[in-house]
Amino acid sequence: MNECLLFCLVAVPLFGSLLLPLLGKAGDQARNIFALVLMLCSLGISCFLLPVIAGDQVLTVSVGGVTLFYADKLAIFMALCSQTLGTIIILYSFGYIAHYEHRNEYYFMVVLFLAAMMGLIFSSNLLWIYFFWEITAICCWRLIGFFREREYVLRADKAFFITIFGALMMLGGFLMVYGQTGTFDLLEIKAYLGRHPGEVIDNTAILFILFGILSKSATLPLHTWLPDAGVAPSPVTALLHAAVLVKIGVYVFARLFVATFTVDGIWWEVVPWIAAASALVSACAALVENDIKRIVAYSTVSQLAFILLGLAVHNEVSVLGGLLYILMHGIAKAGLFLCAGVVEHETHNKDIRRMGGLVKTMPVTAVSFGLCAFSVMGLPPFGGFFSKYMVVNGALESGQVAIGLTFVAGAFLTLAYLLRVYVRVFFGASRAADDGHGAPKEGSPIMVFSVALLAALSLLSGVVIGPSFQFAQEAVRQMMGR
Amino acid sequence: MITLYIALPLAVVLLLNLSPRRTANALSLWCGLVLTVFAGAYTLAMPHVPGLADAFDPANRVLQWKIEAGNLAGVMFLSIALVVFSAFWVGRYLIADSNRRFIFNNLLLLCMTGMNGIVLSNDLFTLYVFLEVVAASSFILIALERTNAGLEGAFKYVLLSAVATVLVLSSMALIFVLVGSLDYGTVKAVLTSGQLDAATSRFVTFAIGLFVVGLFIKGGMVPFHGWLPDAYSSAPTASSVLLGGIVTKAAGVFTLIQLAQNVFGWDKPSPVLLAVGTLSIAVGAFAALGQRNFKRMLAYSSISQIGYIIIGLGAANEVAVVGAILHLFNHSTFKTLLFVNSAAVEKQAGTVDMDKLGGLANKMPVTGFTSVLAMLSTAGVPPLSGFWSKLLIVLGVWLSGAHAVAVTAILLSVVTLAYFLSMQRRVFFGRLAPGLEGVKEAGGWLLVPEIVLAVITLGLGLTMPWFFNTFLVPLRSLWSL
Repeated sequence: MNECLLFCLVAVPLFGSLLLPLLGKAGDQARNIFALVLMLCSLGISCFLLPVIAGDQVLTVSVGGVTLFYADKLAIFMALCSQTLGTIIILYSFGYIAHYEHRNEYYFMVVLFLAAMMGLIFSSNLLWIYFFWEITAICCWRLIGFFREREYVLRADKAFFITIFGALMMLGGFLMVYGQTGTFDLLEIKAYLGRHPGEVIDNTAILFILFGILSKSATLPLHTWLPDAGVAPSPVTALLHAAVLVKIGVYVFARLFVATFTVDGIWWEVVPWIAAASALVSACAALVENDIKRIVAYSTVSQLAFILLGLAVHNEVSVLGGLLYILMHGIAKAGLFLCAGVVEHETHNKDIRRMGGLVKTMPVTAVSFGLCAFSVMGLPPFGGFFSKYMVVNGALESGQVAIGLTFVAGAFLTLAYLLRVYVRVFFGASRAADDGHGAPKEGSPIMVFSVALLAALSLLSGVVIGPSFQFAQEAVRQMMGR
Repeated sequence: MITLYIALPLAVVLLLNLSPRRTANALSLWCGLVLTVFAGAYTLAMPHVPGLADAFDPANRVLQWKIEAGNLAGVMFLSIALVVFSAFWVGRYLIADSNRRFIFNNLLLLCMTGMNGIVLSNDLFTLYVFLEVVAASSFILIALERTNAGLEGAFKYVLLSAVATVLVLSSMALIFVLVGSLDYGTVKAVLTSGQLDAATSRFVTFAIGLFVVGLFIKGGMVPFHGWLPDAYSSAPTASSVLLGGIVTKAAGVFTLIQLAQNVFGWDKPSPVLLAVGTLSIAVGAFAALGQRNFKRMLAYSSISQIGYIIIGLGAANEVAVVGAILHLFNHSTFKTLLFVNSAAVEKQAGTVDMDKLGGLANKMPVTGFTSVLAMLSTAGVPPLSGFWSKLLIVLGVWLSGAHAVAVTAILLSVVTLAYFLSMQRRVFFGRLAPGLEGVKEAGGWLLVPEIVLAVITLGLGLTMPWFFNTFLVPLRSLWSL
């Protein structure tokens, strides 16, 4: 019964998405509602499975002798994060996408993306991870090129190209793991490594897999596609990338490197340095950019480095911080992107040098942007504070003081660039050139509602940290086998 | 009754040409379609025990030459039936003149006879005869429209094919001198007996080398690929569907796989095949990057994909060879689909010059969508069937110890993706190009093969893990590993 539910969790949106273009022929309303129902169905099953996997229980699903899915606490935690955001994205799309062409393709791709994400999260096998990984890449390619302008399509191709290049490297790594352990199955790999204490996964394989993870998580040096993808399409798709897609990479890092493989200790020192470089470089880039969406995108690159650090430092506190970071960053960054979308939509402008004083005309958006920005900065009592604190604390605890200090510097830079944007856009005198669009005003109700909801969640997730903290802690214990 | 694979198409050709011309014109298409569907269904229903079907076959009792069909043959019959089926629809859609269409349909059936014969033959000389049947019908198919380009392409093919013929025939003569028989089993028994002295071994190696080079020419492998892009792009698109989809694969690649196992007895990784395969992948992919003619790009892409099949064969282990055979089948679905797409574009937009096209997905949703599926399958991206075959090939090559080849093959997939992304951007994705406002979706004659092939590509991709046991494991019997 529970196995069947887990199967439906992935299969319902996956196969349901195929019906969306057909339903779109019948009418927009029917298709929109159906898309939402698919997501809610998936979200509902995740919630239902929460008590099932309490304790040390795990679920595995096999169909016709092929093991497909595997659910533990880490997977459910990740699934809940992405499904919540996915549902909000679909809600927001109702208003935002209503007057563009290719709506059928849009809903098809978004739901297929989220379904593939679920498939990836619950994959019990390296091949299935790769399988779903590439489906998400295909969806992103279509979504970034959604407006069909030559420039956007080129950016879509760039993103697709970089992530597929990384993924193929990763596939090479998977093949090496197979060559070493004789299996693709995660549990069997873990069992194999348990039977051979002292044996570690080959370093070349780790390097290859890391390539894939870094390309998907937009980490230096494979980050360049994300700022481009963030600028080109609608904020909805940008949000999809920044808040959900890039988490795939760090999730796979957690799933493979922390929960399954035994790897050479050297990686726990190398990966934090990669993350540190990524955090500083992208934060500096965000500091000098003038395009509001590029800034937010670079900020994503920078924050992802924090998550990667948390997972790579490899002690209980930091991994816990990393997992919470996935949740907190998802919510807050979604809020920032949607606020940027509202601002762009109303002022017809993305250049922060030509904005100012918007707090007077767009009060709700201004406040929401502030709240989300505070969470990303890591100010107490917002959710972002706890995760950032734990990540840095974990690094210090493991004795990597230099790394810890670098990330403190990165946190200060975050403070600086977000304050810069906030002040430039919302305070001071208006610097907008009169371009005939009239004075900017507050966005449409559904947009404002969404940003306010996300801002409230950012605050709430910090004030009521208990449940998510506790669940993440159990997930970490299960992952690290303590 | 495996004789039917040869006898039935031949009988249909004869009957069509004996009946009154007007009836035959109308009937040829439907006869062909029914025949291909029947061939596909019959293959699927065939028992999966090699040898069982052959012993009671009338041909084996009456005729001098013997035929045989194992599980590998089943895969080929399916591919052949599928591609010929699609070519019939495309021919109906593209060739306006009914007399010429009649000729085309006849040639398709003849070509099908030849290819089925190649699959069934069990001695080298029969193989040779059927190779020539395929080659002769291909020449005419390329030159069907009698344009200058078509004649030039056909001429090049004739020339190189003649060279291949000479090589293959000389090789056969040498083998016959040595063994005294051309029967697969007898030749293999002698070649692999291990009792040949040094001079004879060199002789054998020379003979095998000649044969393999001849097949490389037939299959369009680098560095013998010069004729292929011209032939594919100058042929009428309906013929390109057949040529690109199956002909070079049946004549060159399948024969090589068959001979490697049944005659030459190769069971160790072969550096030559690995090198030629890798070279084909690289040259084909990089050359495809620079093309602006849709069909030429597909031709170079074919060269590149055949390279994958060859490295799978070169790795000579179970996983890689099963992958290679699966890739052969997949290639005949996705490459045929791409050629059908190009037929649709050519007819509806009036050109296959990619610089003049753009944004056609808006106007031709089915063609646009199926072309995305086909190109992703070619690039080996899940969830499409091309992913599984490439995965098996690369895994097999890795396990055989040729690590550098495996990694190169993976990375060259990126180049495949690069040229197809550029194709998508210039033809289907993006804004509508000026002058194409009036373009409409292709008619039903083309949508049928598009949808059938797309469903196979996607369906096989999604269900492949469950096919490992029902479809792939029987292939193992062939490789006795």
